[in-house]
Amino acid sequence: MKIRNRTLRLANDGRAYSFRRLTLSCVAALAVCFAGQSPAQTLPTQPTTSAQPQPGAESAEVTQQDRLSASKWLDKLASTVKNRNFQVSMVRTLSGQETVPYLWRHAVLEDGTVMEQLNLQNGPGQEQIRVGDVVSVFEPDVQPYSIRASAIHGPIPPELLTEPQLLQEGYDVVSVGRARISGKTAQQLRIISRDNSRFSYQLWLDEDTGMLLKFNTLDLQGNVLEQIQVTALTMTEQPHPYFSRVNQSSLPEAMAMGTTRKPIHNWEVGFLPAGMHEVSSDIRRLAMTGQVVEYKMFSDGLVDVSVYVQPAKNGLGSDIALRHELNTFLTLVNGSAQVTVVGEIPLQTASAMARSLTMKGQSQP
Amino acid sequence: MTQQQEKLSAFMDGEIDSSEILQAIKQDEALQAKWQRYHVIRSTLRQEATVAPQLDITAQVAAALNDEPTIMAPKRSRLKRLLGGSVAPFARQTGQLAVAASVAMAVILGVQQMNQPAPTDAASGSAAPLIGTQGGLAPVSLEQSRPVSRNDMAVMMENKRKINALISDHEQQVKLKQAADNAAQTQDAEPQK
Repeated sequence: MKIRNRTLRLANDGRAYSFRRLTLSCVAALAVCFAGQSPAQTLPTQPTTSAQPQPGAESAEVTQQDRLSASKWLDKLASTVKNRNFQVSMVRTLSGQETVPYLWRHAVLEDGTVMEQLNLQNGPGQEQIRVGDVVSVFEPDVQPYSIRASAIHGPIPPELLTEPQLLQEGYDVVSVGRARISGKTAQQLRIISRDNSRFSYQLWLDEDTGMLLKFNTLDLQGNVLEQIQVTALTMTEQPHPYFSRVNQSSLPEAMAMGTTRKPIHNWEVGFLPAGMHEVSSDIRRLAMTGQVVEYKMFSDGLVDVSVYVQPAKNGLGSDIALRHELNTFLTLVNGSAQVTVVGEIPLQTASAMARSLTMKGQSQP
Repeated sequence: MTQQQEKLSAFMDGEIDSSEILQAIKQDEALQAKWQRYHVIRSTLRQEATVAPQLDITAQVAAALNDEPTIMAPKRSRLKRLLGGSVAPFARQTGQLAVAASVAMAVILGVQQMNQPAPTDAASGSAAPLIGTQGGLAPVSLEQSRPVSRNDMAVMMENKRKINALISDHEQQVKLKQAADNAAQTQDAEPQK
């Protein structure tokens, strides 16, 4: 109001004239404002997407430095998870769902045996115990079983904890700065896919130990999809007494995995996000429906994506996209085949993969 | 006036049902404006508003200008008259521009505040985690997604079963991935021995 009064007095050579100017500029401003509305609204998403390194010598150099220190932090995390005795309480929250608490223990016994336990603390629960490279799984309604694996499959991607170097190809790891998490000073890192085709991650590592304190999964718009928050962290010199109570001989025998030869499918996925590779392929019968599917799994070191192909007449008959927890489920009919993509990737990427599927017979007649 | 306002408000809420207030609204322009504003406010609160409420700022500016005491241009001094011409046409122009700019600024701010998207619920995927059903299948909103046809319950159930089969198979495969890797490695290693 003050401004208007002052400036109006300046323009004292004719009110009608200045008023016309006023209304004109009002209209012009409104027009500009409406025209600029839609880009302005999408702007807030830009910071997440434009965080990728720009091609250019200077910025590349900066990100190179960042990556160096950031990947050092990931190495420290991996070394801690591999070599230390610890007990971690953490909660996992998915957007729109209840919080789920976990207890995670790890120990290196005196004889060098590595033991690890992950316990789901609510409800009937689920318990996984790893002794060396055998993981035993105890869950309700299923016979206990063991598989050969070097890490427990928990809420935190096991590859991140054990083999952070695997994700260098598909992702940039950037150090963000310091923060306080779970009462500790933490280093914040971001993991962003190089072609911005996958979810991005924020993680906070304890500055003293390198242990993971918080882990966020974000979609392309920057919304938090999943949050893992450590609520208590205890590092000890001695292994937790729990591990001495585990009767190793009572754990189930490790299942022998079928070592069938890789079948050769007559289709291939044309579009793969940067750093993603085929890790397995198979022809299998689905456990729940008995349908036979052709199957390929792709991995970028952090997320795994399954692609199923089955005859369209056995399929769902329509195109469906769903989100189940972090998994995107997309199925569509591509010619005579029903193509289904399942994985922790954005729908756009799943769609691009599903639509890029080509029959080898068709492409090379 | 306040009584009328109260009545108007009560009438909008459906608490009173009188033709008296209707007559009053018909005759009173201020009440009509109030009637419109109340409706805009209500629909905004209910998040029903699809268009920005009309900002009739021009009328207000005009009114304000009318109320403004007119300051006539001071008589030019003799010296200036001698020199002839206006001294500071540029300064005057900037002044006008500043008026225009400040009003435009106010309009932009006003419109942006009005047009800000309503905060979305946690169910549609915002950051705030809320307690809800666990393990439900929620449709993803993108142009590719289509609702499952509801005209045939049996087909829908069957589809749901197929979807669940695929999702659980994927989760199982992810869990068994390492085991399969190890098996493949040992198989690869064996022929070399």
